[in-house]
Amino acid sequence: MSSREEVGGSMEERSEAVEPSRDLIGLSSEPLSIERVYSSAVSPSCGAVALFIGTTREHFEGRRVIRLEYEAYDPMVQSELSAVCRDIRARWPMVKHICIQHRLGLVTVAEASVAIAISSPHRGEAQEAVGYCINALKASAPIWKKEVYESEESKWKENPECGWSGNS
Amino acid sequence: MTARVTVLYFAKSAELTGHRSEVVPLPVATSSCQLWALLLELHPSLAALQDQVVLAVRQQYVALGDQALLLADGDEVAVVPPLSGG
Repeated sequence: MSSREEVGGSMEERSEAVEPSRDLIGLSSEPLSIERVYSSAVSPSCGAVALFIGTTREHFEGRRVIRLEYEAYDPMVQSELSAVCRDIRARWPMVKHICIQHRLGLVTVAEASVAIAISSPHRGEAQEAVGYCINALKASAPIWKKEVYESEESKWKENPECGWSGNS
Repeated sequence: MTARVTVLYFAKSAELTGHRSEVVPLPVATSSCQLWALLLELHPSLAALQDQVVLAVRQQYVALGDQALLLADGDEVAVVPPLSGG
């Protein structure tokens, strides 16, 4: 987790303590708490928190999915998503806090597999940054999902966003 | 000269090789396609991932190609099948 001090602003702004901006990146084997993800991003300096929640679907190509299994290259998830956060802050400098939480291990259908919350003073930046963030995560985070079907067959999924996927 | 490198296998590559990680002596000066060829010799079943795999060397993605790589003892090289996070 990294944090940055904000610098600048008017004399009146500088005389108050400025809340440092936060990037909160985590992997969890427990169900995600949307409330906690929101709380990590909300800020008194911001008028908006934009939220994205990725959920697990019940069907794929006519087959019923009974569970999903996620695995990750943990330390590289941290470094890749930190780089995504840096990109977001370069493109949308007004973004305040970024919280990205992803599930690991067994996840049941209709549970949240990923939650992203981003705050900014006005809603435009937060909304755009969240859309960018999930696309960038799908393209670059070393995380893999296996769908297990009713028939006990299973399939490792491939994101079209990933440059070396068979689907791209 | 060789370096003792930890090779990590994820997702489908772990199923194909039956390993999650192993320490492999690898040439200090090499390329990513050479590395892949060496891993294929060790685990021919990895051929199922041909054209749909990259490596991660010291946690940086490296496509299979002629790019020169330098390895040292304790480095991590990961076999990275197509990503499916999110």
